[in-house]
Amino acid sequence: MSSVVVFVFWAVIIIVGYFLYSKWVDTTIFRSDSKRATPAKMYMDGVDFMPANKNILYGFQLNSIAGAAPIIGPIIALQWGWLPAVLWLGFGVLFIGWVQDYTSCMMSVRSDGDTFGALSYRLISPRARLILLTFVYFYLLLIAAAFGNVISKLLSTKAVLPFPMLVIVAVSLLVGQMIYRWRVNILITTVVAVAAIFIGIGLGGYIQIPGSFTAMLIALLIFGYFSSILPVWRFIQPFNYASVYVVYGGIIAGVVGLLIAHKPITLPAYTSFSIGMGPLWPLLFVTIACGAISGWHSLVSSTGTSRQIENEVDVRPVTGGAMFAEFTIAIIAVVICATAFADSSQYIATALKNPAGVFTTGLASAMATIGIPASYGGAYAGCMILILAMTVVNLVFRFMKVATAELLGDHIGVAKNPHVATIVAAVLAFILIQTGTFTHVWVLFGGSNQLMAGLALLLVTLFLASKAQSYTFVALPMLFMYITTVAALVYKSVELLSKVIMGTVAGTVLIGNLIAGLIGVVLVICALILAWDGYKAFKKYTAEKVKGAVKTPA
Amino acid sequence: MTEKKQKKKKRGGIVGFFQDFTYGMATHGMARHAVKTRSSMEHLFILITMGDMLGVPILPPYYSLRLLPHVVPQITTWKRRMLREKDFVDSLY
Repeated sequence: MSSVVVFVFWAVIIIVGYFLYSKWVDTTIFRSDSKRATPAKMYMDGVDFMPANKNILYGFQLNSIAGAAPIIGPIIALQWGWLPAVLWLGFGVLFIGWVQDYTSCMMSVRSDGDTFGALSYRLISPRARLILLTFVYFYLLLIAAAFGNVISKLLSTKAVLPFPMLVIVAVSLLVGQMIYRWRVNILITTVVAVAAIFIGIGLGGYIQIPGSFTAMLIALLIFGYFSSILPVWRFIQPFNYASVYVVYGGIIAGVVGLLIAHKPITLPAYTSFSIGMGPLWPLLFVTIACGAISGWHSLVSSTGTSRQIENEVDVRPVTGGAMFAEFTIAIIAVVICATAFADSSQYIATALKNPAGVFTTGLASAMATIGIPASYGGAYAGCMILILAMTVVNLVFRFMKVATAELLGDHIGVAKNPHVATIVAAVLAFILIQTGTFTHVWVLFGGSNQLMAGLALLLVTLFLASKAQSYTFVALPMLFMYITTVAALVYKSVELLSKVIMGTVAGTVLIGNLIAGLIGVVLVICALILAWDGYKAFKKYTAEKVKGAVKTPA
Repeated sequence: MTEKKQKKKKRGGIVGFFQDFTYGMATHGMARHAVKTRSSMEHLFILITMGDMLGVPILPPYYSLRLLPHVVPQITTWKRRMLREKDFVDSLY
């Protein structure tokens, strides 16, 4: 089977999804109005509320939502065959993914720039805000565990990668110093940074640093601690800035390589409904999160982006456009991996243990077709995926620090201490990574991420119902996501906890199963409480509609 | 051609799109953070003179009067920022 088929499917989804369906929703349901003042204009304070050009916002949105998940998730899900993965990516983004990103942003824009905390308080119930915060904390912990595992595994299995990553960290510190302290021209800074990183990647082959998984994990958590404690300008921002060029250089090289090589797909289209990881439904739908739909996007859309939208008409290209771009990244990842191996046994041997390693091999193979040496391509691809994962880990520890202070600060004074909150987050992530099995943690992460998307769609449904507007196009995806993700979390929690209860696991695996299983249970309880409160709120809004409430613009 | 039209023309087209897109991807977050840092400094700056504006002198009046002209233009947006309801999710982006 030629990979061209997948690209034709990709093009059809983009045309139908972006140019037809999203335009229809934008013009007939939300009726975006270029004359209506947006929060960025109404409440402009030059800081949070500040109108920005749609092209700038498109770049900002894409950079904020694109991590390693649209690459890692599809690679793991290829075990069910490439066809289910591609179909879920396509139909997921078409009917659910962009809908969530767009409507989350539009809801915030039409609610004076309110974020999910305030909206859940107003639209669902007063306790919804606290439950949402609890949910988000565990969601962040699972992100840290899933990505921490990917990073540590890749660094410990490829000794050529630690040195380039150290170079990138050093360059990031230098970039921060050059821009903010020495006031060096941004162009010069960029050239110096990119050149140093590219040389560093090349030197990785000569200066190899072997290390165990635990050693790399501890190094990563120390890195996460400093990311959380240091001022953003000192490290996180320069790291993101310097690494953008590496990531998008890798994507361009990969796409060009794929187009030139147009290799046939070697993995089977479909394997079986039930595999070692579990059944296709519900697990495939949480294993592939970003690329099809991701709750993280709704948080980005309803906070940073919604307060910078200059014109309501821009919401569709900015949020919907970025979602379809991320779908494109996921499709590229699928094609790269589905064409890189001689047969499926090679893929199966590495996919579960080290999915990032699978991508590294695939991208290096694609880059080799345009003349980039395989050794350099392999190191480059490894650095690229590490950067994507580390940008997320950087932010997660910062957010967990804030969430700890919010959740416990009033009762336990020390929780407000940023060092203590960060160390607690790092220790929790360490325990989860060291004791938990990667695939279980990844499924729980995907489940919490997709459940976050379900919550976002629930909020949008209630928002539209409160305005007596048509909500079916959001309510149906919400029900699908809610049922699927709760089923996945229940399935995984029962699987993990039953092993603990039956005594079939012992030692660290027992602890890992117990922790991961309990986190799954907490997430399900939070989701069910929010669903119940949401149902009561929905009945209230629809009753008002029956009584003859005036239909107001969404 | 007016300066505004020239600026508009310069930003248009594919090149303009990629310029803005690259800025958005690489630098917009940094610029936003710089603005947020400045705003937190302004909070302190305005609080210094707030006492005098309320009729409760905190600093010697000489310094307040020197600072006041810098503070006055920011009062409106500062009030919006201070009085707006904030929660945990605000800290994400």
